[in-house]
Amino acid sequence: MAYIESHLLTLVTFLPVLGAILIALLPRGEGGQHKGIAFLFSLLTFLLSIALWTGFRAAPGRYSFEQKTEWAPALGFSYHVGLDGVALLLFLLTTFLGPIVVLSSWKFIQERVNVYCIALLLLETAILGTLASLDLVLFYVFWEAMLIPMYLLIGMWGSDRRIYAAVKFFLFTFIGSVLMLLAIFWLWSNSGRKSFDYAELLNAGVVDVSTQRWLFLAFALAFAIKVPIWPLHTWLPDAHTEAPAAGSIILAGVMLKMGTFGFIRYAMPLFPQAALAFAPAIAVLGVIGIVYGSLMCMAQTDLKRLIAYSSVAHLGFVMLGLSALTPEAVSGAVLQMVNHGISTGALFLMVGYLYERTHTRDLAAYGGLATVAPAIAATFLVITLSSIGLPGTNGFVGEFLVLIGTFTSRVLAGAVPLAVIGATGVILGAVYMLWLYQRVFFGPPRKAAGHGLQDLTVREWFTVAPLLLAIVVLGIAPQPLLSAIKEPVDAVVQRVSRADRAPPVRKAEAQP
Amino acid sequence: MEVTWLHLVPLLPLIGAAICGLVGKWLPKGWVYAVALASVLLSFLIGLRAFIGLGEQAPLFHELWFNWFSAGSLRVDMAFSFDRLSGALTLVVTGVGFLIHVYSVGYMEEDPGYWRYFSYLNLFIAAMMTLVLGDNLVAMFVGWEGVGLCSYLLIGFWFTDEEKAYAGRKAFIVNRIGDFGFLIGIFILFNQVGTVGIAQINSAVLPLGVASIAALCLFIGATGKSAQLPLYIWLPDAMAGPTPVSALIHAATMVTAGVYMVARLSHLYVSAPGVMAVVAVVGVLTALWSALIATSQNDIKKVLAYSTVSQLGFMFIGVGVGAFFAGTMHLVTHAFFKACLFLGSGAVIHGLHGEQDIQRMGGLRKYLPSTRTTFLVATIAITGILPISGFFSKDEILGQALHTRAFSFLTLTPDGSTRLTWLGPLIYAVGSFSAFLTSFYMWRCYFLTFSGEYRGPESVHPHESPSVMTLPLWILAALSVIGLVLGLPQAWVHGTGLQHWTWEHFTDGVFSRPRGGAPEEFSPYLGYGIALIVGWAGWACSYALYFKRGLAGDELLTARIHVLRGALANKLYVDELYDFLVVRPFWALARGLFRLVDATLIDGLFVNGIPTLIAWVGAMARRFQNGDVQRYLAVTALGVAALLYVFLVRG
Repeated sequence: MAYIESHLLTLVTFLPVLGAILIALLPRGEGGQHKGIAFLFSLLTFLLSIALWTGFRAAPGRYSFEQKTEWAPALGFSYHVGLDGVALLLFLLTTFLGPIVVLSSWKFIQERVNVYCIALLLLETAILGTLASLDLVLFYVFWEAMLIPMYLLIGMWGSDRRIYAAVKFFLFTFIGSVLMLLAIFWLWSNSGRKSFDYAELLNAGVVDVSTQRWLFLAFALAFAIKVPIWPLHTWLPDAHTEAPAAGSIILAGVMLKMGTFGFIRYAMPLFPQAALAFAPAIAVLGVIGIVYGSLMCMAQTDLKRLIAYSSVAHLGFVMLGLSALTPEAVSGAVLQMVNHGISTGALFLMVGYLYERTHTRDLAAYGGLATVAPAIAATFLVITLSSIGLPGTNGFVGEFLVLIGTFTSRVLAGAVPLAVIGATGVILGAVYMLWLYQRVFFGPPRKAAGHGLQDLTVREWFTVAPLLLAIVVLGIAPQPLLSAIKEPVDAVVQRVSRADRAPPVRKAEAQP
Repeated sequence: MEVTWLHLVPLLPLIGAAICGLVGKWLPKGWVYAVALASVLLSFLIGLRAFIGLGEQAPLFHELWFNWFSAGSLRVDMAFSFDRLSGALTLVVTGVGFLIHVYSVGYMEEDPGYWRYFSYLNLFIAAMMTLVLGDNLVAMFVGWEGVGLCSYLLIGFWFTDEEKAYAGRKAFIVNRIGDFGFLIGIFILFNQVGTVGIAQINSAVLPLGVASIAALCLFIGATGKSAQLPLYIWLPDAMAGPTPVSALIHAATMVTAGVYMVARLSHLYVSAPGVMAVVAVVGVLTALWSALIATSQNDIKKVLAYSTVSQLGFMFIGVGVGAFFAGTMHLVTHAFFKACLFLGSGAVIHGLHGEQDIQRMGGLRKYLPSTRTTFLVATIAITGILPISGFFSKDEILGQALHTRAFSFLTLTPDGSTRLTWLGPLIYAVGSFSAFLTSFYMWRCYFLTFSGEYRGPESVHPHESPSVMTLPLWILAALSVIGLVLGLPQAWVHGTGLQHWTWEHFTDGVFSRPRGGAPEEFSPYLGYGIALIVGWAGWACSYALYFKRGLAGDELLTARIHVLRGALANKLYVDELYDFLVVRPFWALARGLFRLVDATLIDGLFVNGIPTLIAWVGAMARRFQNGDVQRYLAVTALGVAALLYVFLVRG
């Protein structure tokens, strides 16, 4: 028992890999078995991760479930993992979506099922590892490991232009990460003891402000592409549109959040003065993302592409909140990360189900689905309301905190106009989402509703119901989440917003 | 006094909504009715018990239900407060709401979506009660957006009709524009006061500038929800929903939320006297504007819709001139008589198998006697030709506007030479003219519907509705009469048992006084006289045109003022104007930006334009397409190993 307790985080992180190995050992033909194992392991991962939630103890500057094993001490990197509140929430979001993703593609994926299942499981471990890492080498390994399975998911099981989309996705994200790798090396050689350990690098700090800026930019570029921040977003609509539903759910649900997580975990605390200096610029880009992303949604004729662009708008809220540097706004940003994972994940799930039935993503073909498939219409409505941040659904609290926290920020220059312009996203979100909803579900039945469109099946209900439940529960009771993230949020707000007053001093023990 | 049961008022209908919505489809019809009606009735009874207890036990009941969320210095609670204003509103919403639920049992009898309907209706009551009882701005906002959602769902209830679905969406989006203002208002007040609690805001000292901007932003929210200029355009279209919904949401309760909010935040508004002038002016302009349009509408529900917009304008005059009690009193009486009118129109439509055009009605007094009588009573109330509820409440607003001192110290010029003392009397004059128009169009509607001979097709046989529908009509008609008690002048009731029941006395101490002070005591008789003359003048014009001539009255009027009537019949082309100025350019902007920036600049020029990149893409694609996944994975693994090697050497 004691072993499990002390290694819990590692166990949860690598459990999907175990499933992947098992599938690899099985004979190729049995698709059903492969899916079964993938589902079982992702479900087990989720169930085990609940222990992380119950066992989590928030404490300032400490990580729960910390585990450190020397790996290559001479080189300064170790297997060091642990969770703070922010990582915990995203970790749970990932394990929560895991079984849903596997179940969602049960029918749709019929070719090379074993590779597909392996890719899904490896992807899950890569994401979990990225969140759990407390060592920059480990982080980088997991970070890059996310790319490959996702690349395969888009490239092998995507639709017509999948190759273009997959390569575009790969190149965009890869180019960003290379610079980050260089910056990580710089940090390593700069830290007194030549260490990749996050805590040590945080303590060591970077004294020279202009160096800080370059390093911040290197990290920020990698993260900004992942988020994506305008104008680095154009890989996203292509990737989403071409990816199979499961890929889109993971991509929107958690992978985009790796970018925002990177900001709050690495780019901001490691380079507080630079983060403070660049905050207004990032906030402006965030607001552009909100408004521009919403406008892009209005110009789409493709169902999935529209929802992909809505991610640009929603993640704009997150970036605005992170750069406002108030506890309210940053808490809201983190909450919005989780909420977006649930609501947009759910949207892609539903769109996937629609596509399975109609084989078209063209909005013009849709119409009147509420008549033939009332259950799909009802669930889609709840998700739509969550996406436009209606109070009572999860979407509201995050957006509200971001906006009110930005409005009252004394740190961010131009906070008031930024918050006001950002708040127009509340209107625009309703404009495109309700337009989409009316287009698909209301009016007389059109082409896509034609051939006896089936309503939600039992299997599909199992994937949708947990998401609906999360939408309502987190809308009514978001406080446990906010309590969990309080420590890390306060820490990063303190560290960055006061960076110009007390420059980080290198600790004596860190000197060579 | 802290209590633990207040949350039941919104919670019970919410549970009702959940039951009807989730399992109502499979329950027997009677159960759905029972759940929906019982939950609202219970809410009403709890409200009634609390209301009776208000005077005896405490001036205010308060409940902190749970802490919704906290972050940084912001703390948002789900907390409710029940004072005389929110208490009275609770009774109106749940009481009128219950009657409309009863009526709906008859009205929606044949609709297969009845369970959905009752779920939405219950959800509406829950949201509206959250709005009314919420003791902080965010809780209020929850209700504010919640009622907007129910409005959206119910307007588009018959969603297979594209136009109705569009009307619902339009309502939601126009409301969201208002909600944007509401949100900014919350931000400003939180920034200034450090809390979102209404009680704290109402006792804070607010600098003029901050108070003005916050009050203005919140008022933008009110113009959305309460359908005032320039955001009123959604309400007439909202008539696409089932008629009981129009009565409940789009006449009696939800649309008055803006007035309620301004009254609730009376301290904020008296701290911003300039904004109060704006409120009053917007109110009177809206009252006039929509009364004008109402004179030329032929859809019975559209007439009533524009009438509602106009009456809401009157309420805003009341709160704008600092007579918060007058504005809210009209809110209450209007809930009675307008609900009665809408339900009456519903009975007419029901009795004529869906006919809404008053040109094809006429002579219905013979076929629908109960509907006719109750409609008549409510028409008398709204037009104020006899001193029942509407007469007193409307006249109180106009009298207060005439004598107001809320603007007496406002200046238009920096040197203070021009004072706004003339604004009150001007509002009185325009308001009185609007009252004349009100009388005119309401009697037109009444005469064309119930008087003369039946003009509809032979195939339709008008019939009276079942008693489940007429009973609520009678109760509402009775309330439209009894409501007069609220508005009796102090002098008449002094020393009698009715003294405590006049609205002015009842709400004493609930509202802040305007900075110029309340008006000096004035005798109401001159105002009453003028109001009666105005009301009867409207009746007389209508009588001469429509009672005597029937539809020919419209032709006569059109012949005289051809252009104006044409414009009015087309709703003064406001929808077309907005479409041309805002909606189309906006969508064009979205498409243009997409083509120019995303497709051409970013993707075309930078991403795909670089030839080497394209070569890369081609090469990668070719390599990928041979399908050898293992080789690819191996290459990646090698890459990772190479990276590790790089810092091995450096180490």
